[in-house]
Amino acid sequence: MPKEPAERVTKVIDDPATPLWRGTIALRIVTFLFAAANVIANQSGYIQPDLAWITLGVMALWSVFTSRAYSSTWGRRWPLVLVDLALTCGLMSLSPLIMSDHQLLTLNVPLITTIWACVPAVALGALGGPTAGFAGGLTVGLSTYLSKGVPSLDLLRDVVLLAGAGMVVGMASATARRSAVLLAQALRAEAATAERERLARSIHDSVLQVLARVRKRGMEVGGEAAELAKLAGEQEVALRNLVAAAPTDSTVDGEIDLRPGLQLLATPRIQVSTPATQVMFPATAAGELTSLVREALSNVDKHAGEDARAWVLLEDLGEEIVLSVRDDGPGIPEGRIASAAAEGRMGIEKSIKGRVESLGGTLELQTGPGEGTEWEVRVFRKGAAR
Amino acid sequence: MTVSVMVVDDHPMWREGVARDLQERGFEIVATAGDAASAVRIAKAVRPNVVLMDLNLGELSGVDATLMITSELPDTRVLVLSASGEHDDVLQAVKAGASGYLVKSASSEELVEAVTRTAAGDAVFTAGLAGLVLGEYRRMAAAPDDSEDKPQLTDRETEVLRLVAKGLTARQIANRLVISHRTVENHVQSTLRKLQLHNRVELARYAIEHGLDAEPEAEK
Repeated sequence: MPKEPAERVTKVIDDPATPLWRGTIALRIVTFLFAAANVIANQSGYIQPDLAWITLGVMALWSVFTSRAYSSTWGRRWPLVLVDLALTCGLMSLSPLIMSDHQLLTLNVPLITTIWACVPAVALGALGGPTAGFAGGLTVGLSTYLSKGVPSLDLLRDVVLLAGAGMVVGMASATARRSAVLLAQALRAEAATAERERLARSIHDSVLQVLARVRKRGMEVGGEAAELAKLAGEQEVALRNLVAAAPTDSTVDGEIDLRPGLQLLATPRIQVSTPATQVMFPATAAGELTSLVREALSNVDKHAGEDARAWVLLEDLGEEIVLSVRDDGPGIPEGRIASAAAEGRMGIEKSIKGRVESLGGTLELQTGPGEGTEWEVRVFRKGAAR
Repeated sequence: MTVSVMVVDDHPMWREGVARDLQERGFEIVATAGDAASAVRIAKAVRPNVVLMDLNLGELSGVDATLMITSELPDTRVLVLSASGEHDDVLQAVKAGASGYLVKSASSEELVEAVTRTAAGDAVFTAGLAGLVLGEYRRMAAAPDDSEDKPQLTDRETEVLRLVAKGLTARQIANRLVISHRTVENHVQSTLRKLQLHNRVELARYAIEHGLDAEPEAEK
């Protein structure tokens, strides 16, 4: 099951513009037939019919060669496509030698390459995007002008059509590439999630059950066993959170889910509560918030004692995020924070207050002797994006 | 009267361990089950007071089993005993009718207290569950579909849930808000009841819309 998306990923990455290349090949064959018909219809008026047939032969060979080249990835490269463009313009410039001035200027008979000449512009678009396609169309148009020697409204129309077609194909190929990248990303994320779920299930079914049992029995037996039980319990919680935490894949606009980072902070003494759905937040700000919570929790360890428990609560109010950290320790005596700052031990003052302020949020501290300590951080979604 | 308990967990070692723990503390273990289908079948036969339900049961999940048991046996309460990480499953189980949730890392004392309270009809809320329920109400409030019967929390209920999520006990919450202990319990229970009722309505609506309202064939 997890194998399937991985295969799909490589297939997609292959070349998303492949349909455009197939179209280019089809266009080449159809336009060649048109060019051949043009030579048959007009050869009686040519000054050099032999050269016309030779040119048509080169066009035939080149059509066969490029059709093969463009149908696999080895031929879809800049050197070949540029040679294609140069050769096409070169063959086109033979037109004044083949055709009589009467044909060229008065009768308005198509040049020897006719619409076959538009193919390199399309190929450039498929390979290099809208700018390359536009430039290719413009080059072919300029070459047409040089071959005819005089400007005309018809000529101008051809240039616009050529450049426009090259650009549109280029846009299509750029879009196809972009969507392929996004699709590959999504498929990778899906594969990673599936694999993670599979791992989580198997860990849940085996290791966690044993650890939980060891912890429970050890506690009941007491003594040295209780020591082991405590260690098993810590590992149990750490492992549970590890398998529960979703991959922190960021979205296209640089937002990540706040929950996994916070959930990893949970221990037997620290409870982390979050909503069941994702809480998306700009990645850098989310990192700041997580390390802020970590700071507050280490503060709990330092000041509230070994046995104090702590609770972290994450709430998503839409416009703002509320993060609360509470412990059931003895609380911070009045003035302790201020005096710590005065002594330069800035722990809480700088780390927590500074971080909250830089995120454009507000911080509220509720504490008192015997009441535990409670931090409540509120950060606005828009303000955090700064 | 002794409380009759049924233990559902797919892991035999854990199942037997919990059953023994509870037996030693004076509960009557009337049955155990290792998968959701047999849990539903056995529960209907023995009608326990409390079902201790693991959620990670394989094919048919503990959430499904919870829904079937609570809708068919109104006097049986389901207490979810599950891993701390399974957020969404826990929420779904509670919406399906479970009256509480305890993490597997809880101590034996906490387990005994939770089973006793569940049997008495109280909701057993951990801080984690309160966080999930709060999140669920806010998710529904923010959801674009505006059906009028969306359940909402009163200001007081929100306040109580937030304090539960921050780890305060019912007694501490009662002190802080200057209300009675019983009132706190009632607020907590009401948040669950509204969620469960809404879920039932939604399920029924879904069933009628999709022509599934015929008599379900639970046993085949």
